[in-house]
Amino acid sequence: MELLRPDSLDAAKAALGNGSVALAGGTELVPLLRDRIVAATTLVDIRAVVPRGVDGTRIGAGTTLAELEADPTIPQALREACRLAASPQLRTMGTIGGNLLQSTRCWYWRLKYPCWLRGGDRCFAREGVHREHAVFANEPCASAHPSDPAAALLALDATLRTDRRELPLADLYRLPTDDDREMTTLEPGELILDLDVPSAEASAYLKAMDRRRFSFALVGVATARFSDGTRIAVSGMAPIPWLLDGEAALDTAAPLPQNAYKVEIARALVRRALAEVAA
Amino acid sequence: MARLIRTEKEVEGRYTEQWVVVDEDALEQWPAGPRDTVGRPTPRQDGLLRARGEARYTADVRLPGMLHAAVLRSPFARARVRELDTRMAERASGVRAVLGPDVEPLTAEPSFQGAPVAAVAADTYEQARAALGRLEVEWEELDPLLDPDEAVRRGELVGEPSSHERGDVDRALAEADVVLEAEYRTQTVLHNSMETHQSVCVWEGRDRLTVYISTQFVWGIREVVAEHFGLPQDHVRVVCEFMGGGFGSKNGPDDHTYIGAELARRTGRPVKCTLTRREENLAAGNRNATIQRLRVGARSDGTVTALDGEFVNSNGWGGWLASTGGPMRMLYACENVRTVEYAAKLNTPPMKAFRAPGFVEGTFGLECLMDELAAKLDLNPLELRRRNHADQDAMDERPFSAKNLLECYRRAEPHWERREEVRASSDGTWKRGVGLASQVWYGGGGPPSYAWVRVGADARVTVVTAMQDIGTGSATAMAQIAAEELGLPIDRVEVSLGDTSRGPYATISAGSSTIASMGPAVRSAAADAARQILEIAAQRYDREQRLLSLSGGRIVCADGGSWPLEEITCLLESGQILGQGSRGPNPTGMRVLTFGVQVAEVAVDVETGEVRVEKIAAIHDVGRVINPLGASSQVEGGIIQGLGHTLSEERLLDPRTGTVLTRTLDAYKLPTIADVPVIVTDLVDEPDVHLTNLGSKGLGEPPIVPTAAAIANAIRDATGADVRSLPINREEMLRALREARERHPEQVGAPSA
Repeated sequence: MELLRPDSLDAAKAALGNGSVALAGGTELVPLLRDRIVAATTLVDIRAVVPRGVDGTRIGAGTTLAELEADPTIPQALREACRLAASPQLRTMGTIGGNLLQSTRCWYWRLKYPCWLRGGDRCFAREGVHREHAVFANEPCASAHPSDPAAALLALDATLRTDRRELPLADLYRLPTDDDREMTTLEPGELILDLDVPSAEASAYLKAMDRRRFSFALVGVATARFSDGTRIAVSGMAPIPWLLDGEAALDTAAPLPQNAYKVEIARALVRRALAEVAA
Repeated sequence: MARLIRTEKEVEGRYTEQWVVVDEDALEQWPAGPRDTVGRPTPRQDGLLRARGEARYTADVRLPGMLHAAVLRSPFARARVRELDTRMAERASGVRAVLGPDVEPLTAEPSFQGAPVAAVAADTYEQARAALGRLEVEWEELDPLLDPDEAVRRGELVGEPSSHERGDVDRALAEADVVLEAEYRTQTVLHNSMETHQSVCVWEGRDRLTVYISTQFVWGIREVVAEHFGLPQDHVRVVCEFMGGGFGSKNGPDDHTYIGAELARRTGRPVKCTLTRREENLAAGNRNATIQRLRVGARSDGTVTALDGEFVNSNGWGGWLASTGGPMRMLYACENVRTVEYAAKLNTPPMKAFRAPGFVEGTFGLECLMDELAAKLDLNPLELRRRNHADQDAMDERPFSAKNLLECYRRAEPHWERREEVRASSDGTWKRGVGLASQVWYGGGGPPSYAWVRVGADARVTVVTAMQDIGTGSATAMAQIAAEELGLPIDRVEVSLGDTSRGPYATISAGSSTIASMGPAVRSAAADAARQILEIAAQRYDREQRLLSLSGGRIVCADGGSWPLEEITCLLESGQILGQGSRGPNPTGMRVLTFGVQVAEVAVDVETGEVRVEKIAAIHDVGRVINPLGASSQVEGGIIQGLGHTLSEERLLDPRTGTVLTRTLDAYKLPTIADVPVIVTDLVDEPDVHLTNLGSKGLGEPPIVPTAAAIANAIRDATGADVRSLPINREEMLRALREARERHPEQVGAPSA
């Protein structure tokens, strides 16, 4: 395997494509490579070329979660989502841009069962063990999106700038379909450069885990209050970060036999997160 | 004088009758209480080595020319290998040898996921793994048997069922004032030792084999590996200087050692065979799941008159029948008890011993049932336990060698009395409560075990024994015992261990037995050396030997004279004083057990099902405590492991294929430091006057035994919800709360009376 370390954005763009893969913190990519879930012969280290740091509402995609969790100028929901993610070691390496592109933790997918998401014809989780899986949009694939910051950024109505375009965070994600099982709209070789995160009047992130720390969200709830209303987004509840159209949207959840408890937790956390941001 | 005795030997609650040759244990026990070194908090002697990365674990063993093995393990819970073509793998880069399923313990009919089918040795581990991918296997996948109750119905069992009955249970149940019946379930959990199972095997010539291995029993490995390869026992050397945890899973050589040794034999090179974390979580053993169908009958004053239990252990494809019914038979003075235990043989990875196997699971059921009984009778749970205290062994009326459980209960009072205060601190959706559970377990150790003590001219001492320190700090405890007996500061004593060719036979480090078995042997070896020193001193200083003793690094005479020890030992020049000691017998006709109680304080968020354990007070009676610092670490480790078992850990299987979903540590949720409660350790520290020259029992397992029940009982106290199934994760907690709300709409949420 080859590792390239371009020192300009142009050089990085030139190096990407042809099956090479961008590497930032590596906390997600390295395990995927090790497990041969991602195949690559060339890695392109983008840390020297992707912006890093916070400047007003603009956050460089190369900023680490550890930097964000300690930054008093960013919205509370994002700071808290970063703080409650992973472990200190992982947050020190992992970047916010990379975090948004995490793959699901579905054990069937990670252990390479020939499931629908891998191009197969059925979802093993739906038929098998799905206590950690999605309660929204969970057919044909019940995988849950693991990112805490993505839910916070979705509630905060963040915008992304890539090397090619600007787009609302919501448009980064797509539900996979029979024809196209990708979960993001990023094109091959496209790089997230930075995020614009509007400063909400108040925001919050609450997370339910199987243990106190270092666990992916069973349910993560982000709320952000703006002058024209409060946005709610959840993680761990759908194959992609999921916007809730008000608390009542939880009534539309379609839990599987082993994960109805997630809806129960979400009800409590949504109420609490709304209370936290109430004017 | 050597004495031949017929004795009961107990490891992990399994008794066997055997002949043992023992030496008389002539030493008087030391008086109770802390001494110069024994009983004083002592940092581990190897702590710095470990912290600096200088300790040599099996993972660190790199021998010249060493090859690396990789094992093809069955991806199916049950399958048959129709055909296996090794030719491509043999030609793969770096490959030196390939073993097919015809070589034991490899198999063409794997009966659980992870069973070894073929193996490769190559120059690098990566090459070996890559070569596995070039093994061409034609599998025939077969239907696995996964349901334990179905296995019992079909008679698919590991070993025979185990039955015990005393008194007349049916009559006692019919006559009881109150009868309660409940089903409890515990899950499969994985040991997840920090160091995965591994060994390095190297043949010296054709008929001598050295095995470096992460193990709890170097001598046990020596015996079975020698037998496997048809070698004299002394031709097998087993080395384990440091190990990164075992918890019961490293008592035997396991498939990796046989595979590595065979590959080493065929290639003439050292071979390392290491399990990856994922292999570890398939093939390295587990604590089996259980189903416990329990009944208790009692009089209205709380006297338990009948206990009845059916226990189904989900053993998987092997292992042995752990005593899930043990606590029911042993903990209380009940006259009418019936237990029936089954080990269901399933197409799942076989169980292995895991820190107090059977008793952790059985105590959860029994001690939750006792609290449900207390609630039914409106009795104080602590009083209920006192009322049913067993003054002698409830099974055969033997006296206990020592039992201070009532003292443990007395010391638990201040923690228990916090109940009102803790409940009153409930806050919004967070309900708080307190629960307790008792503990009974083995831990008396036994013979044979030997130690030597070597004193050099520099008046430094080495304890030589081929025991292993499983990671508990037992080596430091041995140094303390020798230092105490020789009147030396601890920094003049070191311990050489972990090598069958360097020291005498020593105990398995399982069943909480290392200190209880080895400590007395080390003390007797040190006493033998001390006697020789004093004999020499008596001649050198012209004093009566009976006036001389060793203290503070000096030879002290009752007449007031004293001389540095070096003054005598330097006369040795290159000579040495060699002391020899052995473990005497356990007291005949007595039951040697450990006891204790834990009191847990929890907070439960009744909306989200989050359980936070805020404090656990652990009061245990394990005889004399050698190192209070090491002992509190043991208690903390046991409780933290118990906490994971109670709240978050569970090996999950795909219900259709029987394959393991929680092979990695993101999916299998061990507790983190953030989950750890305040832990208060209180050890009774009263020597067992009938047990050896030390009066010490083991502490490795007792602390994990009552933790789950204490937490579950605290949850019931806080919320009124009956949690009868482990782990008590969010869904189980919310389910129990929902059920309790249906039962008592007005109570849930509010602490019960």
